[in-house]
Amino acid sequence: MSGALSGFKVVDITRGLCGPYCSMQLGDAGAEIIKVEPLQGDSARLMGPPFIGDESAVYLALNRNKKSVVLDIYKKEGGDILIKLIKNADVFIEDLGPGQPEKLDIGYDQLKPINPKLIYCAISAFGEKGPMANQPGSELVVQAMADYTNSLGAIGAPPVRLGTDVANTNTAVFAFQAIVAALFHRERTGQGQRVSTSMLGSLMHMRGVLWGAQSDPVDSWGDGHHQDNYIMPPEYTYKTKDGHVFLSFGQHDSSDPDAYQKLLAELGLTEMLEKDPRFKVARQVLGTVSRYAWEVKGIWEEKFKNMLTQEVINLFEKYGGLAMPVSNYEMVASHPQVQLLQMIREMDHPKLGKIKQTGIPWRLYGSPAEFQSPPPALGEHTQEVLSKLELSEEDIQHLREIKVTL
Amino acid sequence: MDGPLAGVKVFDLTVAGVGPWASKLLGEMGAEVIHVDAPSIGFTNALPTVRGMSLLMIICNYNKRGIFLDLKARRDRLVAYRLLESCDVFLANMRPGAVDRLGLSYDEVSKINPRIVYCLASGFGERGPMAPVPGAAPQISAFSGWSSTTGERGKPGEFFRHSAHLDFNTSAYIVEGILQGLLHRERTGIGQKIEVDMTSAAISLQTSRFAEFFATGKTPPSMGSTVTTTVPHQAFLCQDKQYIMVGVVEDDQWLRFCKAIGNEELAKDPRFASNPLRVQNRELLIPILDHVFVAKPIRWWEIRLTEAQVPNGRIRGFEELRWHPQIVENEHMVKMTTPRWGTLYVDGMPWRFSGTPGSMRPGFVPGEHTEEVLRELGMVSEG
Repeated sequence: MSGALSGFKVVDITRGLCGPYCSMQLGDAGAEIIKVEPLQGDSARLMGPPFIGDESAVYLALNRNKKSVVLDIYKKEGGDILIKLIKNADVFIEDLGPGQPEKLDIGYDQLKPINPKLIYCAISAFGEKGPMANQPGSELVVQAMADYTNSLGAIGAPPVRLGTDVANTNTAVFAFQAIVAALFHRERTGQGQRVSTSMLGSLMHMRGVLWGAQSDPVDSWGDGHHQDNYIMPPEYTYKTKDGHVFLSFGQHDSSDPDAYQKLLAELGLTEMLEKDPRFKVARQVLGTVSRYAWEVKGIWEEKFKNMLTQEVINLFEKYGGLAMPVSNYEMVASHPQVQLLQMIREMDHPKLGKIKQTGIPWRLYGSPAEFQSPPPALGEHTQEVLSKLELSEEDIQHLREIKVTL
Repeated sequence: MDGPLAGVKVFDLTVAGVGPWASKLLGEMGAEVIHVDAPSIGFTNALPTVRGMSLLMIICNYNKRGIFLDLKARRDRLVAYRLLESCDVFLANMRPGAVDRLGLSYDEVSKINPRIVYCLASGFGERGPMAPVPGAAPQISAFSGWSSTTGERGKPGEFFRHSAHLDFNTSAYIVEGILQGLLHRERTGIGQKIEVDMTSAAISLQTSRFAEFFATGKTPPSMGSTVTTTVPHQAFLCQDKQYIMVGVVEDDQWLRFCKAIGNEELAKDPRFASNPLRVQNRELLIPILDHVFVAKPIRWWEIRLTEAQVPNGRIRGFEELRWHPQIVENEHMVKMTTPRWGTLYVDGMPWRFSGTPGSMRPGFVPGEHTEEVLRELGMVSEG
């Protein structure tokens, strides 16, 4: 094992999209991940269709590197075993909600005496304080509350959410940061601690520029720059004969000062440049953040409708501009740059043959992160993990009979 | 109190958003960050501005000191080398190859400081056909598939009008990488080179959606407020023309949801008994629910669903959020009083540490600490 977290042990009772992404990353970085699931399994196992065989595609994407142990932690025997597992662990991750772990004797203050060096990570939906602390959240609910849906769709139309599960995944990334930073501090001082993140907090953090921009009414409405975020119509980029293309032509993109004029001339748009002030400055008419882009888009698209995406790209690049096809996942997966980055990969699965995974987003030359093992079946490692706690075969069978495990 | 990275020193050679936001997070965790700008820095008035200074610069500069170095000049390069002797982290987000031309390649820097944790961030990676392409968030939006799963049903993929999300997303993955480097070094004494790029970060962020592509070979379609794999998880129009967001994302929530909307029969309906069944039969279920929700105002449903512990909420914006107790008590948005730009609402920290809380302090004006840092290095400025 080569990763930065090799030799560390993580006990993870989280479910769904957030905690599991975090522990998957901790596993890529070399930690041993013990995924404790209830008898009915992680809720992600039911997210679908689509399924691959019996397994939810979403579950498969988020759960490599883990050992699955089934425990009903709400029963005394299950809770006791969980505490034994945590006693021997470096990291414990939970998402039960503020105040809930304490009811099971697995709150930080209860675990600290038996494992003072433990790094305890709590993930909540809205934050640990405040009137909503004990409410359950969801991806859409958090996106909407954090002002995200206001940057999508049209005013007055039904809300549009980001398709990407940012509330979940970005929170998982911040949880990873907190855990590894706490482990670093622990290496230096011997001290464990409790860390926490929340979905609402993560998205509010990521949107910080917009809070700053609206802080002062004069600044807010004076330059109007960020207000465009809220009032512009949906931005689809430029439609071509066979798809969509992102375009930009910044002032410094070309060493030829007449490059932009030449581009317009080749498209037969010189008259626009002469007569329409919105075309005067290249940056004002192209790209997704330009003031007049949506007003003049139809004029550009009239020219692009008979051009293939690649032809538009070639044209812009000829004059020093930047152009990129708007990709779907098929295009991403087959792109040579993505393949070079190894961000779409395969791994072996005992039942399903080869399954695809997104890759590892960091390249560490000294402590490389790696895929460890395929996503486990429910309870696949119960036997293995519990026998390491010195439970006998009879003990484990008894636990099955009283429905503490499968 | 100090953060978990107290005593860690960062040589921060970053520009625009991706790099500086990453080093800002390190600074909030207690690292000492020295931000290096070229004296000709042109970014100070990039919109939006607050009292003349680029807002992005203000927000990215918390906890940092700022110095001017012209790294093309030999004299300033020597200052950089001297500074690097005592640094733990090097971070740059220039175009691939640019740091080499400034004499700050990993080979050069690790000669001066073998234990350095050296991180380069880029748009598309350090090598390959697209390495020279400038990586800004809109390009990554287009390239990484990010927009293809967002938008109204039936429309082409919509661009998120706050494209900075993909910038700061990359910053978050950079911090993950650097923290691994620091931890590894603490355990082994060995530094290393690390690379992170916007494309990999954007693809990894989309893992739970790429999942569906892996199963079906097709990109999951844009579906407005709803999503392929969970039902019901979408906006519903209420009587007072407002939309309530509702998510039944755990099995036990379905029964409580049906009770809360006054339709326990629905909970017994075998067509909707589990999430996979609800997904398969969504075209039957959703019209039933549309009909239910439109009969009452949004507040009616918020009260009932909250009581029933079913995820629900409404759309909120800055004006409400800045006063909302959930935001205020958790410091998801905080007020920062800056010495030069007044009091601003800004992002809160994305984590809490019980033992090593970290902090947020206003940052620098470019070049402000050049003299001070030179003095600390035992060097004197010229002229």
